Amino acid sequence: MTIRNRSDRATCSNPIDAAVLADYWLGVLTGAEEEAVEEHLLDCDQCGARLREVIALAEGIRSLAREGRLRMVVSDAFVKRAAEEGLRVRVYAPPPGGGVQCTVTAEDDILIARLAANLRGEKRVDLCICDERGVEQFRLPDIPVHTRANSVAYQESITFWKAAPTTKMIARLVTIDEAGGERLLGEYTFNHTRSLPGRAAE
Amino acid sequence: MDIELSDAELAQQIGSGSDQEAEAELFRRMAPRVRLYGLRHLRDEQAADDLTQQVLITTLEALRAGRLREPEKLASFVLGTCRMTVLDLRRGAQRRQRLLEQFGAGLLAQVQWAMPRLDHDLLTRCVQDLKERERTVVVMTFYDEQTAADVAGFLGVSEANVRVLRHRAIRQLRDCMGVAV
Repeated sequence: MTIRNRSDRATCSNPIDAAVLADYWLGVLTGAEEEAVEEHLLDCDQCGARLREVIALAEGIRSLAREGRLRMVVSDAFVKRAAEEGLRVRVYAPPPGGGVQCTVTAEDDILIARLAANLRGEKRVDLCICDERGVEQFRLPDIPVHTRANSVAYQESITFWKAAPTTKMIARLVTIDEAGGERLLGEYTFNHTRSLPGRAAE
Repeated sequence: MDIELSDAELAQQIGSGSDQEAEAELFRRMAPRVRLYGLRHLRDEQAADDLTQQVLITTLEALRAGRLREPEKLASFVLGTCRMTVLDLRRGAQRRQRLLEQFGAGLLAQVQWAMPRLDHDLLTRCVQDLKERERTVVVMTFYDEQTAADVAGFLGVSEANVRVLRHRAIRQLRDCMGVAV
């Protein structure tokens, strides 16, 4: 005799949204909300499966961050946490309008460009990444910047730069006014020298 | 022969006498749910496994002894036991060994822990495709383990806004990963 769950084939009549399950996983629900979610989860395998997907997503994001693969503006807390976890963080900080010689080694885990600029009072700041001729390749629009901050910490993909040939990258911080006009806040040149053995990616 | 039992019928079946198949089904059914509770509250796979074992043995003990008077409240009973056991574990109480000696731990071996596997490259593209602020929120939340107040301070927005950004990002990521909401 095999016993099966009678409710296996039924559809959950009151599914919990994945975003709420993420709040549950993060422990940010109120006591009553958390209690309601837990009672439901102890009775519903479909929402349990959704919670597992949320946990896998959270773990996946954590891995991506640890692998230094994301191109994004990060907080000082992120850089500090990476260093505390034993990750090797390489930071380059060219002055505005200037350049810096840089490289990455096989041991590096996280690559940070610290871009100094006066950001006081700026409502919207974009970060433009350009090739060696200064032609924009991609843009991170409306990056998070603290209005009292005097620099932006930009994480480049360590996996990309480990594979890259010797080349130059130019980063520009620009502010956008309400009419859509752009004003340069700072330009920064990174002269990358490949130091890893083997063929570089095309 | 296959038979279908609700949670309440399963509880009654176990309470009415020794039925190894019903007890095994209780473990198969409840263990993944209890383990999720354990992962959430204990943040440790081994501790979640220990909790699962302890809660299910306590539940089985109660069912065999006929202590669950309202079988339709099996889930509530298990949840209550989860809460008490987590408190016990945090206090360092060790009932586990005695219970294991009494009931054995073999039943858990039949339970599959199915955590979904994600396509890492696809996830990279999906996270990269998020808007800057949404990406910042999910990374600060899930990697940095920053509170909503910390994230709000970094972004210069309200905590309620951080919640909105986080919810939007999670829905977009699930959509991008091809997971039905």
